[in-house]
Amino acid sequence: MENLIIKATQYTPAIDFNLETNILSITGKSYPENTFEYYKPIIFWIEEYLKNVKDEEILINLDLEYLNSSSLKAYFDMFDMLEEANSEGKHIKIKWIYDEDNDISEETGEDFIEDFKNLNIELVVKS
Amino acid sequence: MSDIKLIDELDSLKENFIKTIDKLTKDLKRNQKIMDRSDKQQRREYDELQKKFIEVETLKKEIEDTQKEVVFTMGAIGESRSKETGNHVKRVAEYTYLLAKYYGLSEKECEMLKQASPMHDIGKVAIPDAILNKPGRFDADERSIMETHAQLGYDMLKYSNRSLLKMASTVAYEHHEKYNGTGYPNQLAGEEIHIYGRITALADVFDALGSARVYKEAWSDERIFKMFKEERGKHFDPKLIDIFFENLDSFLVIRDSMKDV
Repeated sequence: MENLIIKATQYTPAIDFNLETNILSITGKSYPENTFEYYKPIIFWIEEYLKNVKDEEILINLDLEYLNSSSLKAYFDMFDMLEEANSEGKHIKIKWIYDEDNDISEETGEDFIEDFKNLNIELVVKS
Repeated sequence: MSDIKLIDELDSLKENFIKTIDKLTKDLKRNQKIMDRSDKQQRREYDELQKKFIEVETLKKEIEDTQKEVVFTMGAIGESRSKETGNHVKRVAEYTYLLAKYYGLSEKECEMLKQASPMHDIGKVAIPDAILNKPGRFDADERSIMETHAQLGYDMLKYSNRSLLKMASTVAYEHHEKYNGTGYPNQLAGEEIHIYGRITALADVFDALGSARVYKEAWSDERIFKMFKEERGKHFDPKLIDIFFENLDSFLVIRDSMKDV
């Protein structure tokens, strides 16, 4: 298994999943033309990763200033996966990073906290 | 015994059914949540878009108004340095609009020329006072210095990328060219002279001749019209002279409504 690095585009975020540090970062905007196609390899990578990872601390940084509705759905699905892994004993910490003046992003983070009570999600205001 | 087995099976079915229903309910709730969030986002985006759109419109108008004001002020500066007075540039503006309109230029171009033509003498800001304000006739040297105002006006405006100022630079440059090639600064002839220059030349002269100055009486209409007919194809574009006489009344209405007080 290899690190997953995908450059950002106008419509898609940058992906930086690092196996050595166990830090998985997604940064940018997400409104791809075909959201399902875009996230398929990313979700697949995470699935494989969660199978292989032992009891290391996993940090997931999500800094998403803009999500269209199908991207939002993709993140809910991703969180489902993470919650399941968490309940199987993985140590997952999620940082939901947002701009102070981005109310929508903040509220989205709050939605995740409400829906995934068993996940360790922290809201972080960008400095 | 078979009843107990059936009960077990039913229990298991019931359990699966409940699980499936739970999952469906959860999915539906989630989809509803995503939809709500998305609607909210969309509403904000659209509000923001509307706001920005109004902002852009306001700024666009602000830019246009500023440009008009700059151009008008420059025209007034040019006027303050020329021997023309009163409503001269305002009348020239109206005449150039009419000539452009009757010549067949687009409404936008006519409107722009109306704004640009008052700047035709802007180059005079760089002519020394001693020459500019000389009461008598110019000698040859003075005249040639005076005539540099066309080139000077052009040089002042030519670097602008604004279409209106570009147009004004053409007007300043070519409003003293003559149709037969005896004008200045470049002795252009016929349609080598831009239509903006040809139009402004006629409008400027028509107004200057009809206005009284400290050093001269206003010419009578008869005298002006005679001169225009003589200069048809010489000083002035024959087409424009024809247009002028065909629509004489409209020009006289402007002159009468914007008299110098």
